Amino acid sequence: MIEFRHVSKIYGKVKALDDVTFTVGAGSVTGFLGPNGAGKSTALRILVGLARPSSGSATVLGLPYAETACPGLRVGTLLDAGAQHPGRTGREVLTLGAMTLGLPRTRVGEVLDLVGLTERESRRTFGGYSLGMRQRLGIAHALLGAPEVLVLDEPANGLDPQGIRWMRRLLRDLAEAGCAVLLSSHLLHEVEQVADHIVMIGRGRVLAQGTADELSRGRGLEETFLELTAHTDRSPGATASPGAGAGRGSA
Amino acid sequence: MTRAGHHLNDIAGAAPSPITKDEKMNADTPIPFRRLLAVEARKLVDTRSGKIIAVVMVALVVASVVARGAVVGPKLQTLVGTAGIALGTLLPVLGILTVTGEWAHRTALTTFVLEPRRHRVLAAKCLPPLLAAVALSLFAIVVAVPATAVVSEVRNMAANWEVQPLGLLGWTGGNVLVAAAGLALGALLLNAPAAIVINFSTPVLWAVVGRLGSAGAALAEWLDLNTTATPLMRGDMTWSEGARLAASVVFWIVIPMAAGLVRVLREEVT
Repeated sequence: MIEFRHVSKIYGKVKALDDVTFTVGAGSVTGFLGPNGAGKSTALRILVGLARPSSGSATVLGLPYAETACPGLRVGTLLDAGAQHPGRTGREVLTLGAMTLGLPRTRVGEVLDLVGLTERESRRTFGGYSLGMRQRLGIAHALLGAPEVLVLDEPANGLDPQGIRWMRRLLRDLAEAGCAVLLSSHLLHEVEQVADHIVMIGRGRVLAQGTADELSRGRGLEETFLELTAHTDRSPGATASPGAGAGRGSA
Repeated sequence: MTRAGHHLNDIAGAAPSPITKDEKMNADTPIPFRRLLAVEARKLVDTRSGKIIAVVMVALVVASVVARGAVVGPKLQTLVGTAGIALGTLLPVLGILTVTGEWAHRTALTTFVLEPRRHRVLAAKCLPPLLAAVALSLFAIVVAVPATAVVSEVRNMAANWEVQPLGLLGWTGGNVLVAAAGLALGALLLNAPAAIVINFSTPVLWAVVGRLGSAGAALAEWLDLNTTATPLMRGDMTWSEGARLAASVVFWIVIPMAAGLVRVLREEVT
């Protein structure tokens, strides 16, 4: 339902994405795993039409996102939970989304319940929200249109352990109901616990992809991840040192 | 599947029932423009800062009309014109804040994900401030009438009800133009502080340019929107004055808005 085909993105002299190819099928959770700066967010922005690939193509449900008639009813997106007006209430953020998509206002209450934000919290302004509340609001916004495809960039950032557990369950349930979920993360354990399929990325290139079992090659997923990302680590002097990668991979 | 499906119906699933049937049908039709318009109009007043701007604009119109009436006496046309000073100052700012807001708070990220046809969002954003310019102009006229009557009564002076309908129309049009200039400048720069500074520096700019010999004077005569719009706002514009107004409209509204549109369409949203 999501398809990246030979997507490259060049900013000046930097190749942010280099020939990225992978697909996400219906009814599965795919983890997009890589160290910070690997190109995950760039790839997701290209997928939802906020940036253009230099070459290659990304499609959702068979079409470039921007050519979907009303993409918000098919694809739920959370790219940055912090990107909201601080003076707007959480409820108002969702109301604007529901209005845009032509959904009844009752839908706002439904998604609030779904992500566990209370009535009172929803009437507070976004500026006062904790990081965890922002993530929940962002997920609520992504779910407004009961989408068949979910695209989430680092959705677990700032969630407490209960929150992470809740989200894991939510994503599993949505996948089992037929949803295609793509979530990015730099946290190996988070991805490992929820994803059926993992795409590892470093310095803009897909390093490996497959199920967690396939990728662990009998010695654990972490070893594979560190080995693959070690020489792509961006910090100076960290080349070929798996130890340096560890800080980024599992911090 | 059953357990998971069940679970989904308990929580997420409020989703499937109300949505899949009716609203989901809308997934194959683009979002109607009137819906985008309603959303963008709502964004103008759904935050505290937005409400404050709205209240300040209304209050300034009332205050300037009443204060001028108390000082110069019951002259309807003069009182209406006074409101224009407040509107001429604040409408460009409203226009700038309206277009730049989504970049300042990075809400463009969600807005353009819901409607990737960015030109439609920009159009929906520009209409409410232009309509507000018309509404506030009418409001100023409506406030000026009782203000004139009251001042006439209180100060025991004969009220001067003389107005030129064409003048009021042109005056309203002038207010729409300054709002549009703010929108265009905001769309071009996508940065509120920079746009506001430029907006408020232009009178100084033209004062200087106008003194730079005959070429400078000609430039100011043709391109200073505040000067070229004056005949329109008086309601007695000649053809040559109309040509000058058109030139400054192209310079301050058409060109920056076109460049801003290209920028909004092409720029990556991060």
